[in-house]
Amino acid sequence: MRGFDAIRTGGKTTASSLRRIDSKPRHDRSKRRISGAVGFALPIAFLAVAFAGVCRASDANTVAVGGIQAKIAYCKDCHGPSAQGYDGYFPIPRLAGQQTEYLENQLRAFIEHRRTNNIMFNVAHALSPGMVSALAENFKGLNPRPIGGAPTQFVAQGRKIFQDGVPDANVAACAACHGPEATGSGPIPRLAGQLYPYLIKELVNWGKERGQNPTKPDTSAIMSPVAHSLNKSEIEAVAAYVSYLK
Amino acid sequence: MKTIGAQLVLQTAVLAIAFSGACRAEDAKASAVASKDVQAKLAYCEVCHGVSAQGFHGYYPIPRLAGQQTEYLENQLHAFTEHRRTNNIMFNVGHVLSPAMVAALAADFHDLDPKPLGGAPRGLVATGKRIFEEGIPSGNVPPCASCHGPDAKGNGPFPRLAGQVFDYVSSKLTNWDKERGQDPKNPDTSAIMEPIAHGLNEAQIKAVAAYVSYLE
Repeated sequence: MRGFDAIRTGGKTTASSLRRIDSKPRHDRSKRRISGAVGFALPIAFLAVAFAGVCRASDANTVAVGGIQAKIAYCKDCHGPSAQGYDGYFPIPRLAGQQTEYLENQLRAFIEHRRTNNIMFNVAHALSPGMVSALAENFKGLNPRPIGGAPTQFVAQGRKIFQDGVPDANVAACAACHGPEATGSGPIPRLAGQLYPYLIKELVNWGKERGQNPTKPDTSAIMSPVAHSLNKSEIEAVAAYVSYLK
Repeated sequence: MKTIGAQLVLQTAVLAIAFSGACRAEDAKASAVASKDVQAKLAYCEVCHGVSAQGFHGYYPIPRLAGQQTEYLENQLHAFTEHRRTNNIMFNVGHVLSPAMVAALAADFHDLDPKPLGGAPRGLVATGKRIFEEGIPSGNVPPCASCHGPDAKGNGPFPRLAGQVFDYVSSKLTNWDKERGQDPKNPDTSAIMEPIAHGLNEAQIKAVAAYVSYLE
């Protein structure tokens, strides 16, 4: 209960309490995890080390412009040329226009195994704090059109759920936290223009992907009951609605 | 010593919540609603209002409900559904609640006592304290304490302000007559605050909001 209190005080307190809990054993565990998946991780790790080398050469908190541009190009290989998201083997989320605090939180969540995603663990692991901030700032400034593709017949129902929630089923209105135009706020992500299949995958698997480190509870706990209360057709509807928002 | 004290308080709080839950199951008012339905509804409220109902910074500042006066909470839920207070999200939330559920929720929130969310500018607190306790006689602003109480705990229809979210209080006082008392055929207690909110300037609003936001 007390842990959650800290979470609910918003991103700043969350970030500082996370820093406070940071400890060596966790770092050790991360290393073991890498060696376990070394075959898969190696090419990415080489790339990451190569890029990281460029920025580490100067200072941990300031990053060379060339280093940032190279890293952005690397992110866009998967997240789309304007970071509008990409329907790869997995649906790969839109980063464009995302809240900087949310992006930074998620990159830390991958590293700390709070959010499970092996590819993003390896990506994030090589980023200096200065690089993380620079990337988040850069993605926030992008504003490409949504990639679209969601079934348009779900949009009207999705709009209703987003704006009003489903009070009878104890589903809170998405708009209360994500904003009436789904732009997000601080630690709360922008959903406008997010990929339809990505949103479905996240909402369906929330409890299996987020908040996975019991020693480090995080803001993902807020969404847990909401994701759980939505049924499949409601998830599809709300995902379709926000995927078209600009 | 301090740590032991804090632990003791925490344990007592946990015990208190456990016992109050046990008593409430037999409470006459709440008896019309199943306890599991109340718990599910509470969890739903707390998605936005904070896990201990201490308030939350969503897209909008979302108010603290913990420790709030039951009469005020019930009044506000009615105000949303009767369009006396404009808030589309809360209209939909309030619309599906039975009177027994409203009573059960209000009683539950009243009993919660988490720490304030904090975060207001500390530099404003001293000015805010003076306004809260003495008002601004030259501006015809009465002391807030005269209705909300010296500890800002409120009383019946007068809301508790202690620990309320800073930017929530600021935004309410700034927009009072655009959000409250919106049904001319159904005037309500919000009319009392209208000239006071009007009499406070922006700096005074921020100061008083900062002061009450830190009160426990």
